[in-house]
Amino acid sequence: MSTIAGGPARRNRPWRLEAALADRRVQVAAVAAAALLLVLGAFALSGVPPREALRELAVGAFGSKGAWAGTLRETTPLLIAGLSVFVALRAGLFNIGVEGQLVVGAMASVAVCLAMSGPAGVLLGTLAGVAAGALWALPAALIKAYRNGHEVITTIMLNGVANYLSTALVAGPLKDPAQQSPTTRLLDAGTRIPDLYASPPFRVSLGLVVGLVLVAATAWWLRRTVAGFELRATGANPKAARFAGVNTRRVTLGALVASGAIGGLAGAVQALAYEGRFYAGFSPGYGFDSLGVAILAGASPFGLVPSALAFGALAKGSTSIQILGVPKGLSYVILGLLIVVFAVVRYRREAARD
Amino acid sequence: MTDSMLWVLLVGTVTLASPLILAAMGGYVSERGGIVNIALEGKMLAACAATSLVGFATRNAWLALGCGAAAAVLLAWTHWLLTQRFRVDAVVSGMALNALAFGATNFFDKRFTDPTHIGDMPRLPLGAYQALAFLLPLALAYAVGRTRAGVRLLASGSDPDKARQMGVEPIVVRFWAQTVTGVFCGVAGAMIVTNAGRFVDNMTAGRGFIALAALILGGWRPIPVALACLFFGFAEALQLVLQGTDLLGAKIPVEFWQSLPYLATILALAGFAGKSRAPAGLGKV
Repeated sequence: MSTIAGGPARRNRPWRLEAALADRRVQVAAVAAAALLLVLGAFALSGVPPREALRELAVGAFGSKGAWAGTLRETTPLLIAGLSVFVALRAGLFNIGVEGQLVVGAMASVAVCLAMSGPAGVLLGTLAGVAAGALWALPAALIKAYRNGHEVITTIMLNGVANYLSTALVAGPLKDPAQQSPTTRLLDAGTRIPDLYASPPFRVSLGLVVGLVLVAATAWWLRRTVAGFELRATGANPKAARFAGVNTRRVTLGALVASGAIGGLAGAVQALAYEGRFYAGFSPGYGFDSLGVAILAGASPFGLVPSALAFGALAKGSTSIQILGVPKGLSYVILGLLIVVFAVVRYRREAARD
Repeated sequence: MTDSMLWVLLVGTVTLASPLILAAMGGYVSERGGIVNIALEGKMLAACAATSLVGFATRNAWLALGCGAAAAVLLAWTHWLLTQRFRVDAVVSGMALNALAFGATNFFDKRFTDPTHIGDMPRLPLGAYQALAFLLPLALAYAVGRTRAGVRLLASGSDPDKARQMGVEPIVVRFWAQTVTGVFCGVAGAMIVTNAGRFVDNMTAGRGFIALAALILGGWRPIPVALACLFFGFAEALQLVLQGTDLLGAKIPVEFWQSLPYLATILALAGFAGKSRAPAGLGKV
């Protein structure tokens, strides 16, 4: 930082917009203030007093045991899908395809559980979800590793295909004939990922715990294993990693497929722990959200936990303010602004290290 | 296939490729200037919403187009500020802007669209957009290597350090490049909403990313990029024509045809991306 060397000299100069903008603290403060103003302005535009909207948001997310249970439910897919994005991000890859991987993962897990009930079905279904997610990431991984085609584009295209494929299947062979809308039959109560703790209205699903364990395991893997180190090295500087003897092509391939597998797991958990079925339009945009979760998490996988919780609370709380008449798009505005503010803060940190 | 179907296919290709070409040319200017831009999608979407809202509110097609372009330019300037001033990763900035545009368009559409307001949006003729889309790549191909502004753009995107030594300020050049990108994406969005009649959530449906794929396939050169866009437009038109038809006697779900443009993009990237011909200074400060 230039506070010691540059501080006094800057103070002597006459104030100029340019000089003020060059100060990173001013940059961060300005971006954060602009973001806050935009959100409050949006509330005001919806005809809801900002203070009431913020209180409603907080009460909706944390105000009661039921609200807490809902927030944790929303947090689960965001945590696991966030981890999926995070793993790719550490390797320097943007997996925008979690949306599609989650959808095919959920569909595959439900399809297996429809054919086979009981705990064995759940286990097999979860594995099928993981495999489907990995398979869905494979084309993007191969194109990135061998053709250098940008993964952002290929994964977004695969999201579109996953969306249409799942709609076609759930309107056709997987459809529950007794239902009007394209959805599968509801799985029976024994064919679910069980709750670890339940005293209604509060409950914690085993799925959330699986996510937490996976986060810890990933942290260990990234820190303590050669493969984890190679992945981080590739993400930090692919050229240097290649010179140091890392097979970066294999790392790219592995990281995207692993990311897809975790994305598939997120879908399987969401389907088998919470929804109990698969239907058209299964994901309300987990792919976008989990990208935000991963970016906000920063450098450590443990950062995913507070970040997923924050997004989960936002998702749960925003249903309450929708009732007040605030359009749902506002939560995406907040998501985008959060990413912007955090990215600016992170830049400040990285620049300060020089 | 009958003659009339061929005609529908041809018109559909031109109509559907035009916004892709306009957006891809926006991406071309941005990336030739050295800024990765995955927010073409968000810019188009913002322009769709602004054009539709202003069009319905004022009944003035030109004002609507201007506001659509202005909305896209606003996002483009934000991208410039974040990537050039605040040194935010361009992909992170782009995704944030896409999310922002998705949310904000939904917000403004739900808040300000009068549901009782039926009837037509004031429109400029589609032919004007199509003509622009087909002339633009030619103009860029001619001008970028020959004019002062064009050479400065290439210099900023190929080697910002050397450009600086020659007295070109890449950050200034890039500001104007982002402005142009915003205008092109804005016109693309206005065309999409003109074709559709009114704003619908997420109506760009990934076209910004298809335009990016075309940019890669065309090797960051205007005319090949435009040809790639025509190919994707053709895939989309084919989808519309073939919907509901059977293949070898089997009933094909409509969703298969709908995913055709996406599949074509993936296959194209798998087949041709190969050697990267990206601007050498892409992403450098």
